[in-house]
Order: sequence, then structure tokens, then C-alpha cells
Amino acid sequence: MDQTNEHPNPKKDDQLADFADQVLRGTMNQPASPPTDDLLGLEETILRLNSSFPPTSLDDATVKQMHVRLKARIRREGQAAKPSFWKKWFGREVTPQLGLAFAVLAVLVVMVLTSPSLTPSVPPTTGTASTPISFMVIVGLVAVLFIVYWFTRRK
Amino acid sequence: MENTSNPILQDPSDELLVQHFKDGRQEAFDLLYSRHLPKVYKRVRYIVPENDVEDVTQEIFIAALNSISSFRGEAKFSTWLRTLTNYKVAEFYRKRTRKQEPPLAPLSDASAHTTGSTSKIMEERVYLQGALQSLPDNYREIILLRFAEDLQFNEIAELTSQNLEATKSLFRRAIAALRNHLDK
Repeated sequence: MDQTNEHPNPKKDDQLADFADQVLRGTMNQPASPPTDDLLGLEETILRLNSSFPPTSLDDATVKQMHVRLKARIRREGQAAKPSFWKKWFGREVTPQLGLAFAVLAVLVVMVLTSPSLTPSVPPTTGTASTPISFMVIVGLVAVLFIVYWFTRRK
Repeated sequence: MENTSNPILQDPSDELLVQHFKDGRQEAFDLLYSRHLPKVYKRVRYIVPENDVEDVTQEIFIAALNSISSFRGEAKFSTWLRTLTNYKVAEFYRKRTRKQEPPLAPLSDASAHTTGSTSKIMEERVYLQGALQSLPDNYREIILLRFAEDLQFNEIAELTSQNLEATKSLFRRAIAALRNHLDK
């Protein structure tokens, strides 16, 4: 349990903060509190943390080497991630769903182009009802366009 | 055009460097990198296994490079980069969990390539990393700000918009929580 929550103690807060400052400055390497004090365990934890991660600074040569490796990685990943044809033209990769929508759209376009209602072979007779298939095709087209729009709106 | 050939001023602010980079001056990012690498590296070293520290650090800077255009200067660049660092470290652990790898390398891994006292330090480090990782965010953050970034308590108070007393109190609670985790 975190007993410090129940017992606010600004004096101990200050003491521990000062102890941490001294440890990090390198002027303290052993607990400062008497064995009976409950700060002792916390001071030991600070010493443990400090000795496991001794203060180090990256020298210039290491920084430069790491920079070179970072640039090499960026170059490598930049080459690996060249945008595909689809990404280049449509601003997004083609998912299987979007591919299917394109395929359905292509089929419907072919159907529309080859539909008898669009081929002016016979002059229209007065009173003839319009071909039901052309209505279905238009509804289908609208549906497909809606699907494509929906997928492109999604991330 | 003339602007881009001017040398960058001596010791420009981070925000000015970001602006230079947005204006197409690649070397501005190099300066930001050199300036912030030590702190980012140190922070990552406290919470990520030794073998992955450089990799995660690289990912942080690649993410910074890719999203720097979204930096609008509402916060300090160092604060923005710290948030990005925490995000990428969290992502690192998410990926590890997804791959069913243990959150931190087992102690045996730490001693596999080392001997004697180095091995003991590495084991202790892995143990502490595990404990730090399991702390609540605000506890972990104050420990990292003081130990990894070497910020003074008054600087931490300013950064977290708290008074000095509250900051020191949080620090004591954080160390107490760390101790509890280490004792488990």
C-alpha cells in the first residue's frame, strides 16, 4: 500500500527530494536516514535506481554514428515504401473490398454499354415501356458508387 | 530561394529549427536530432531493454520527422517529443505483447552475453525496468523526468503545472510505489 497517500508529510518529501538531488550530483552514495526511519527504504530505492542506470552522456562520436545509422534506415525504408500505382493515383492502397467494388463497377459499366436499351437499332415505338434491366443497372451503378465513396471515406 | 542558402543561426530555438525544417531546410532536423538525442536515448534506456534502445530511439525520430508538419508550436518542441517518445515506447510494448513476447527480456537474457558485475547490473536493470513499466503513468513520469532527463524539481513543477510541494510529494509516492513493486 502507498502509505504516503494517507500521511502527507512535506518534511519527508523535502528530505527525500534533497537526498535524490545529492545522489544525482554524485555527493551521496549511501542512505542518510537512520535504520528506524521509514525514509531509509526509499533512499535505498533511489540508490539502487542510480547505480543501475549510472548517469552517462552520449559523446559526439556516438551521436554522429547513431545519426548515420538513422539516415541509412530512413533511406532504406523510404525505398522500400515506394507508393504503388493505386496509391499514387487514388491516394490510398487498394483493399480487397475496394478491389471487389472496382470489379463490380467494371462489370456494370460493360452491362450498361451492351444494354439493348442503349443500342439504337430499332426506333422506339410509342407506348413501349422502358426495359426493366436498364433501371436495375442504374440502381446497381448508384449502389456501387456509394460503396466506393464509403470505402474512400473510411481511413 | 536566397533564404534557403543562409546558414542557420548559432544556437537557434527548437521552434525556429522546426520552422526552418518546414521551409525545406533538412539540416534543421539534423540539429534538432543532435540536440535531443541524448535525452531521448536516456529516457528510452530506462524503460526499454538494452538491445532495443537504439531501435526504439530511431523510431521516435522517424516518427518526429514524419509528423513534424503537425507541430504547431502550442507546446514546447521538447514536450511534443517527450509525448511522442512515450507513445512509441507504449507501441513497442504493445507490439511485444501481440507477438506473445514477455514484456521485458527474461533475466537469463541479460546475463547471456555478460559476465560478473556487468551481468548483475544488467539483471538489476531489467528488474528495475519491469518495475518502472508497471508503475502508474504519473509516477513513472516523475521518476523519468528527475533521473533520465535530470530535470530539477522546480523545473518538473513548472513543466507539470504543479507547485513544488506537490511535485516533491508525488516524487516520494512514486519512489514508494517503485519500492513496493521491487519488493514483490
